Amino acid sequence: MTTQTVTLQGLCAVYGAGARRVTALDGVTTSFAGGTFTAVMGPSGSGKSTLLHCAAGLDKPTAGTVTIDGRRLDDLGEDELTRLRRDRIGFVFQAFNLVSSLTAAENVELPLRLARHRPPARDVLAALDTVGLTDRAGHRPSELSGGEQQRVAVARALITRPAVVFADEPTGALDSTASQQILRLLRALVDDHRQTVVMVTHDPAAAAYADRVLLLADGRIVDELTGGITATVVAARIAERETAPAGSAVESSC
Amino acid sequence: MLSIRRSVGAFVAVAVGVTLVAVATLLLASGRPQVPDRLADAAVVVQSPEAGAAADSFAPTRPWSAARTAELTSGLAGVPGVTAAVPDRTFYAQALVHGRPSAIDAQREDAHQGHGWSSTRLGGLRLTAGAPPRQAGEVVVDRALGLRPGGPVTLLTAAGPQPYTVTGLVDAPGVYVADDVAAVLAPGVRVIGLLIAPGADPEKVAAGVRGVVGGDGRALTGDGRSASEPRNDARTRWIGMQVLTATAALAGFVTVFVVASTFAFDVGQRRRELGLLRAVGATPRQVRRMVRAEALVVGATAGLTGLLVGAALAPVLGALLVDVGFEPATFRVRYEPWPVALSIVAGPVIALLAVWSASRRAARVRPLEALREAAVEQRPIGRLRVATGVLLVAAGLALSVGTATADQARDAATFALYAVMALVAGATVLAPAAVRPVVRLLRSPVRRPGGAIGMLVRAGASTATRRTASIAAPVLLTVAFAVLVSGMVRTTTAAYAAGRADDVNAGWVVVPDRAPGLSDRAVAGVGGTALLPTTVFESDPDSSPTDRPLTALGVDPVGFAAMNRALTVVAGSLDDLGGGDTVVLPASANRQPSEPYALVFADGEVVSLRVVAVVTDDSIPGDLLLPRSVVRTHDPSALTSAVYVRDRVDPPVGARVVDVSAWAAEADRAEDRLVWLFTLLLIGVSAGYGAVAVANTLLMAAAGRVADLRLIRLAGATRGQVIWLVTAESALVVLIGALLGGAVAFVGLLSIRAGLAEQAGVPVDLVVPWSVVGGVVGLCLLLAVLASALPTWRSLRHRPARSPA
Ligand SMILES: Nc1ncnc2c1ncn2[C@@H]1O[C@H](COP(=O)(O)OP(=O)(O)OP(=O)(O)O)[C@@H](O)[C@H]1O
Ligand SMILES: [Mg+2]
Repeated sequence: MTTQTVTLQGLCAVYGAGARRVTALDGVTTSFAGGTFTAVMGPSGSGKSTLLHCAAGLDKPTAGTVTIDGRRLDDLGEDELTRLRRDRIGFVFQAFNLVSSLTAAENVELPLRLARHRPPARDVLAALDTVGLTDRAGHRPSELSGGEQQRVAVARALITRPAVVFADEPTGALDSTASQQILRLLRALVDDHRQTVVMVTHDPAAAAYADRVLLLADGRIVDELTGGITATVVAARIAERETAPAGSAVESSC
Repeated sequence: MLSIRRSVGAFVAVAVGVTLVAVATLLLASGRPQVPDRLADAAVVVQSPEAGAAADSFAPTRPWSAARTAELTSGLAGVPGVTAAVPDRTFYAQALVHGRPSAIDAQREDAHQGHGWSSTRLGGLRLTAGAPPRQAGEVVVDRALGLRPGGPVTLLTAAGPQPYTVTGLVDAPGVYVADDVAAVLAPGVRVIGLLIAPGADPEKVAAGVRGVVGGDGRALTGDGRSASEPRNDARTRWIGMQVLTATAALAGFVTVFVVASTFAFDVGQRRRELGLLRAVGATPRQVRRMVRAEALVVGATAGLTGLLVGAALAPVLGALLVDVGFEPATFRVRYEPWPVALSIVAGPVIALLAVWSASRRAARVRPLEALREAAVEQRPIGRLRVATGVLLVAAGLALSVGTATADQARDAATFALYAVMALVAGATVLAPAAVRPVVRLLRSPVRRPGGAIGMLVRAGASTATRRTASIAAPVLLTVAFAVLVSGMVRTTTAAYAAGRADDVNAGWVVVPDRAPGLSDRAVAGVGGTALLPTTVFESDPDSSPTDRPLTALGVDPVGFAAMNRALTVVAGSLDDLGGGDTVVLPASANRQPSEPYALVFADGEVVSLRVVAVVTDDSIPGDLLLPRSVVRTHDPSALTSAVYVRDRVDPPVGARVVDVSAWAAEADRAEDRLVWLFTLLLIGVSAGYGAVAVANTLLMAAAGRVADLRLIRLAGATRGQVIWLVTAESALVVLIGALLGGAVAFVGLLSIRAGLAEQAGVPVDLVVPWSVVGGVVGLCLLLAVLASALPTWRSLRHRPARSPA
């Protein structure tokens, strides 16, 4: 039996109040096992990003609990939470991944330096080498392409050897070659280092790299695929849900 | 994480601030009293007892009488080590060149002083030509006057113009006459200089001297002899000290203020980056420390730069201060250690104070802000902020009222400065709350020409109220300060003049021209009512403080009563003022008519007087009234300050005739001029700063807005439209700042006017020097438009897609 790196229990996220009230997450309960690759899919506005932010401790859910590595996030203070994030969690966002005044190498070593140990230069270079950017170590983000910036962010997620890497549409703006590079890197994290990856995507082809696909709609998990995941299967499932009659007025659990 | 481009603004602001602080404190430390050249060779200077008055009243010491001087001189000459004891006599005398007082050194007190020839021994003064004066009618003059030995010269003395013969020339200001002539002109002596034997220890001699004089004087040695510097020099130095202290305080305050808004702005622009740092593992403390460390680096380097620039500028500014009359001519710049140390510390301290709230806000940035656009600020202004702002404004208003009701003009100026600071700080704290209503107010003018641009300008200004407020802050500061300070000075001056003119019942006033006062001959020629002021000292040994100096006015009671509208007699009769022993006192002196009252006069004699009348305190422009002849008898050098006449007369030598309102306006002209110069200096400092700050924040804003503008261009705006957009935006912000600043200042001015009106008892007009205000707003507007249009224009040279992100 595999251990659960991240566990979500009855997660609710509500924004605004009154007429402007939006329920972004409506009682999500699931978990991500160590050494697995999960893709989170669903229509725009279905709460995917919110799910990721809550799971990573970047946002506080209105209700429910998040457990990472056996530690409940709501028990942690701001500093402990930050430290947990620094040591155990990696991020790859869709955009704005890097600090613009730092070079690629400095961006990669940033989490470690914030934790007050300076990694040896070769570790940084090794991380950049994994993402194929050794020759770009001294470049600043403005001198890198979108895909390269994304790969620097992956290298940064690699260097702390985090238990779990969250990626929000990491390939959203990339062509298929660049996308494949990123996805292979994420896959390698799981296969070679037994790390856990949770990735939000709209692309069935990207989801095909995952071991498991969660489908979100209106803040709920409405479907889940495990095993035999290919782009065609995923696309078919999504199409199926769109044509299916809306699960008329489910009682909100938040 | 330190970016050069981003920190340039803060660097410049801190550097300019520290430069000002360094210059001001260096000059402040340099302004020390000097031993007069005339006494340079006197190793020990014996000074008559100090007047019992506050140090900043610059009263002269209580003189020794002729008899006492003779007694002391012979006693002192017998002290071991003393080779000569020379009384230094000083009286009023001024050489006329081409029938008028010379314009050279009109401001220097020692240029219209006469001394006995033996005084030259105390300064080691040598004749450059001719011979010493030996008898009445002979004089040695400053060779700078261009006269020749053997030629005639007219000396203007308190009695009037006198013919003299030049016997010799010296290279020093003033005139020198034979000792017995000096003894008549200056019977009272305030300084006896001692020449001592080579090898004698001045301290030992001083100890011997103390045995001789006892409590009737002080023995000064070394630098302590500078206590005998001319009173006017001491006063000028004191004024300079006030100016410099205020400048340093203002510079420090404005710097903290400007740098704080720069940092606040910077943090606002970096929210996304700070959020990212938080997301990848920076704790709030680390973020806070990072922001502070950046500020510290900027502050330290900028501080050093400022110190170097300040040290280089100090001598230049020192000379300037002497020129305008804020420092005596003897002023020299000295590099003392404490201003240097202070300036080194000032940079980092200013930066840390300034970054305080910005760093706290930076630490509150949530990690999620890396992922979301956060242009719309949720809560523009917190409750604590409102409370702080309201408190500051209240304190400012209270101080404004204090300004208006302060007795002393000097206290008023100090109050005013702090009032302005509090009001401006309060207004800035509250500014974000005011931005939205003001934008709404300004809506119509922007809408018509702008169309889409107008919409963008308005929406930008009112959604990002904090951003708008922090750009508007320096404008607010500058305008509020300029309006309030210049308006206050002008209003106060006008109010005092109005009150003064109101008290005088005369058509014209004869006043001195290029001379410290009018001679008796001039007064006799004019007729009318004259005031002959002299300083006397209370001689009652029981009173405390002893030797309190008083300004006595020598008058003719009938003329004085007719001329003075403010005169109210409480007891006795003014008509009895006339005998050699009569005096009129104000009610606050607590004496009744016929009580005795003893005074020490300028000749050092104690005279017992009889009170003949008591008047209200505000009846007389001095402390007591004496018959004119009594003043003349005891002070041969007393000079008439003004003569009031009904009809216009021809002015005698060394005099001018002005009408009463002109006289009232210029009565304090020298002081008013200094105050106005000081005001302009302070406004200049703050306006220069405001300009730096406006340009600064707008440059930073321009950098942050490139992406926005690119989008607007991509949406179809022409370059012209984009330039117009940023120009209109910055003009709007300047306008907001100017309006808020003007409003704050106006509130302050109104409270000042109310206080003045109550004090003066006459309605007071609000005088606002619009040229100064217009200049300040124009400067801000110009720099704002340049600082936003230029970088935008540069970034627009590229195609929209290629603009740097
Ligand atoms: N800060 C916020 N305030 C108010 N509503 C929000 C906020 N953030 C998200 N929402 C709302 O929550 C819902 C879920 O948003 P979320 O960003 O999680 O969607 P998503 O599934 O990631 O969509 P997309 O695929 O477009 O990125 C949306 O309806 C959104 O409008
Ligand atoms: Mg999303």
